[in-house]
Amino acid sequence: MSKPYRLSTGGRFVDRAKKVSFTFDGKTVTGFQGDTVASAVLASGQRVFGRSFKYHRPRGVVGLGSEEMNALIGVGLGARHEPNLRATQIEIFNGMAAVSQNRWPSLTFDIGAVNNAFSRFLPGGFYYKTFMWPQSFWKHVYEPFIRRAAGLGKAPEGRDPDTYEQIHVHCDVLVIGGGVAGLAAAEAAAANGAKVIIADENPHLGGLADISGGAIDGQSLPDWSAATGAKLYAAENVHVLNRTTVVGHWHHNFVMLFERVADHDPALLSQGVPRHRLWKVRAHQVILATGSIERPIAFANNDRPGVMLASAARGMVERYGVAPGSNGVVFTNNDDAYQTALVLKDAGIGVRVVDSRGRAEGALPNKAREIGIQVDTGSVISAVNTSWGGLNITDVKIASYRRGQGRVIKETKAEADFVAMSGGWNPALHLWCHNGGRIHFDDKLQAFRPKEHHDRIVAIGAANGTFGLSQILTEAIHAGSKLAGSGKVHPVPAAVQADERPLEPIWFAPATAKYNEGNKHFIDYQNDVTAADLELAQREGYESVEHTKRYTTFGMATDQGKTSNINGLGVIAEASGKTIPEVGITTFRPPYTPFSFGSVAGVLTKDLFLPIRRTAIYQWHVDHGAVFEPVGQWRRAYTYPRNGETNHQSIDREILAVRNAVGLLDASTLGKIEIKGPDAAEFLDRMYTNMFSTLKTAKCRYGLMMNELGFLSDDGVTVRLSDDHFLMHTTSGGADRISAWLEEWLQTEWTQYRVFVTNVTENWSQFAIAGPKAREVLQKLDPTFDISNAALPHMSFVEGRLGAYPVRVYRISFSGELSYEVATPANYGLGLWTDIVAAGAEFGIEPYGTEALHVLRAEKGYIVVGDETDGTTTPIDVGLDGLVSKKKADFLGKRSLEQEHLKAPNRKQLVGLLTEDPNDVLPDGAYAVRQVKDKPPMEMIGQVTSSYRSPTLGRSIAMALIENGRNRMGETISFPLPGGKVVRARITDTVFYDKEGAKLNV
Amino acid sequence: MSELSYQSPLAGVAEPQGLSISIREIDERGMIDLRGLTSDAGFMAAVKGVIGVGLPVKPRTSASWGDVKVLWLSTDQWLILSSRARAHELLSQLRDALQGYHSLAVDVSDMRAIIRLEGDGCREVIMKGTSLDLLDPEYVQGCCRRMRYAEIAALLDVVEDNVFDIYVFRSFAHYTWNFLCATAKAPAKLKLFGAQEVPA
Repeated sequence: MSKPYRLSTGGRFVDRAKKVSFTFDGKTVTGFQGDTVASAVLASGQRVFGRSFKYHRPRGVVGLGSEEMNALIGVGLGARHEPNLRATQIEIFNGMAAVSQNRWPSLTFDIGAVNNAFSRFLPGGFYYKTFMWPQSFWKHVYEPFIRRAAGLGKAPEGRDPDTYEQIHVHCDVLVIGGGVAGLAAAEAAAANGAKVIIADENPHLGGLADISGGAIDGQSLPDWSAATGAKLYAAENVHVLNRTTVVGHWHHNFVMLFERVADHDPALLSQGVPRHRLWKVRAHQVILATGSIERPIAFANNDRPGVMLASAARGMVERYGVAPGSNGVVFTNNDDAYQTALVLKDAGIGVRVVDSRGRAEGALPNKAREIGIQVDTGSVISAVNTSWGGLNITDVKIASYRRGQGRVIKETKAEADFVAMSGGWNPALHLWCHNGGRIHFDDKLQAFRPKEHHDRIVAIGAANGTFGLSQILTEAIHAGSKLAGSGKVHPVPAAVQADERPLEPIWFAPATAKYNEGNKHFIDYQNDVTAADLELAQREGYESVEHTKRYTTFGMATDQGKTSNINGLGVIAEASGKTIPEVGITTFRPPYTPFSFGSVAGVLTKDLFLPIRRTAIYQWHVDHGAVFEPVGQWRRAYTYPRNGETNHQSIDREILAVRNAVGLLDASTLGKIEIKGPDAAEFLDRMYTNMFSTLKTAKCRYGLMMNELGFLSDDGVTVRLSDDHFLMHTTSGGADRISAWLEEWLQTEWTQYRVFVTNVTENWSQFAIAGPKAREVLQKLDPTFDISNAALPHMSFVEGRLGAYPVRVYRISFSGELSYEVATPANYGLGLWTDIVAAGAEFGIEPYGTEALHVLRAEKGYIVVGDETDGTTTPIDVGLDGLVSKKKADFLGKRSLEQEHLKAPNRKQLVGLLTEDPNDVLPDGAYAVRQVKDKPPMEMIGQVTSSYRSPTLGRSIAMALIENGRNRMGETISFPLPGGKVVRARITDTVFYDKEGAKLNV
Repeated sequence: MSELSYQSPLAGVAEPQGLSISIREIDERGMIDLRGLTSDAGFMAAVKGVIGVGLPVKPRTSASWGDVKVLWLSTDQWLILSSRARAHELLSQLRDALQGYHSLAVDVSDMRAIIRLEGDGCREVIMKGTSLDLLDPEYVQGCCRRMRYAEIAALLDVVEDNVFDIYVFRSFAHYTWNFLCATAKAPAKLKLFGAQEVPA
């Protein structure tokens, strides 16, 4: 087929005055405004759109919309490329670049098609059978081979230049589907005052109404759809969404809608309109009006380009003015497909009908005969023949048929270049089933229908298995009317439609030869699963339909069994001697059709990828060359390299400044919680392991916090502001968690306590001025209070002013040096910080970052909760049993700490480590072993928790949790590292610097 | 040593361009976090005596008296808004008046950043970051509530029909600002549930 197939007239969707040019595989194709890639390429005379997944057979268009499983294409170039799109849904625009998929080197000649010749070696379960042995082949031979040979489109290259967004919306009624049923239901619900969203995946409302025949209130269905749609667009309480696929339904009517806002119009994209928008809708009531999907019929070579669904053939003519061929055969088991025959005949296209039923006496078949269409009942297409390579249909074979017969003996040949098939219609149940809706099998329809659902969701129209126009309208208007306002039921308009006689199921049209000798009967086109594969799976014992699905890949991937499901179940039922309801159905999973990762991410990309917290000093850190590290959601200055320093050099400089002069740290991220009330002191006694009720006003105390299991969960310094008022510091990452933890105990367990807790972390900027010259710097800042050692000794507190700045000053130290933590309201933070930097200049002040902070504290053996602890570490383990009160009646974790195993001597205990070679810095987390062996496994006796090079000591230091560590002082233990090196280190005390703490009390 | 230097959370942030609504930082607002028990009549009366209006006890509401506004935060927590200068006075008056009543009043004027959204379509812009139904009739002047917005904790105050204040913790100010600039772009403007044009 090479000549153009655009009909001279017709095509409801296309505007023949507007020509549109695009490329398909680099070749220019010209269509009309309103065409899809499928209709325009078919009109140009090309039928092949891609190669199949496994056998690389040429494939063409089968469907009309989202049910398309064959003609998957890629659209766009480079970073804007998107693979695996259904050609039947893609609206063309000038300059669009579309490509076919899974073919090499070209569509018409594909080397992979050799798989087809060897297909007897590629049966169902082929992957499981073939790629099993030897194990080492999987990674290097089998997987690369499968990845190259199978699969669909290619991923885009580079960063996506477009924008995406999400929105949350609530509504009274969400109507899914804009066909006759959806429109009527939405109109009724809106008329009763409901807030309605109606979502439809197509650019136009109306669903399949325009190709269904019939009339409502004397209007043709397209006219009625347009008029009803116009009312909905105009309504103040309705939101209409076109090009919007409902991709999933979850609990309590949470529904996700994928809107393709700008895909169809590059002008919108260049204006900055978001390409896709994901709607997260919470609907009080969902009305499912998703219609139905036509079934293919399994006959030999039913996947050849030119074999399509009857509705698709009809739609191509009526919507786009495109002929599916010049001479076709309609193969059906129902009356509806006769409409296709009538439309084809009307368009001047040659057509005959093959009907598997013994009799076809309905209004439509009779009309077909009247206008001279040949109708063969009790017949099937037993095969289609093609030219070389399977590219073009040359003729079909027709054989007589009665249900249950075996192989075909006699068949006649009829010339034809296309086939329009219809095996009946399946209600589109996917969304009904996503969230546990029950279904039942309807013998008359030979399809599953919705039964009951635990959510407020109702299915109407074809989605409910209701196909008569009058009945559809009745269902729709009743469903819509009852949901809002008075619940008044609106009158149902009169509808006329041709009477249809029932279908007779046909799951398999027999052929002359056995299945697998060039006679493939495809069930699942997208996954290349044939009737023979399903039968083989049955013979091999895959009795459960879910096992068959996984073994053969039937009903999987992007298609989720839209066209294949019931046909496959029919084949399995016949092969196993069961009924279809006995076979059961596989699970439909979201999404209904694939949707973009861009829409899933929305605007949360690049600088919005994670919520980032900044202190008030952030910009100063940036301006002074800071390297940052994440601490929870905070970005903290890690170090401030300058003049080409490496990070190590700048960290050493910062540490030595603190030890020898003075340093300045932005500690604003520390958690700060105000705790006040008559029972505040007792409350703190219970939260901490140590005593706080004895703390004197304006004094600070370091506290350890355990959970109920006796494991360390946080630590920090708390100050008593007044008799009933405390301020607690938590770790930087722990502020919100500990604040919630305190509230939880107050609200759920100790409700008798009169205590209020307010997290004020963010109100304060807080800086550590640390080092032997800290007091001189502070004095220079003009304090309104006495800062002498006598007036403000270690672990004391004062409130006042530094110059103009209101401050709280805590004399506490995490570095082991003379140190003041100065807090000021955050909007003054930057001002005070710059003043401190200026005041400290003459004393050699250096800002220092979190890494210097960590080395300084490690030199002093101070623990960090989260480094020295891992959620299973007790205060005893880290050697802080002195801080676990023996006097207090109770506190969190006290009882757990009495458990034998938490006191056992062989637990891992915190020790210091000095490596034999002072230049060896142990990696964090390195394992100590009982005995070094040639290769793992080796028995582990502990691990490094912190490890640094200490510029103060001129050597490496580390801390580790080591089995029975405190009794092993002086022992040397081994740390085998990846690569074979073994580092040996001596167990020591954890305090490496100023053991007596003399530098704190100066 | 020197003058007091003051920097609001979003000081120096660039004026946004091409948005469908206006956004700006509300600066210099004083805020007091107050905790106490509504069952304690003495506490309730003492607070009213200082701020001039009874604390709102109905969830998600606010109350105003002159230039003081109180937002309900939870069953025992309120945020008292005023000018920054007034907050200092109010706090010391509250502390005096609440002597002997179980309560906690803290100046938190520096704890949050406030961003004001103004214009037609504000509700839709905010709904791009929160699952609240801002089209519900509850969201009129006088309504305030905490919400999860753009994946962080936030506080929403309906100032007028198309005027909203979003409060976030100070450290999230720039993140929230950037999120708003991304979701309020003019080409992404969205009108929910109104008359729509019939597509071609």
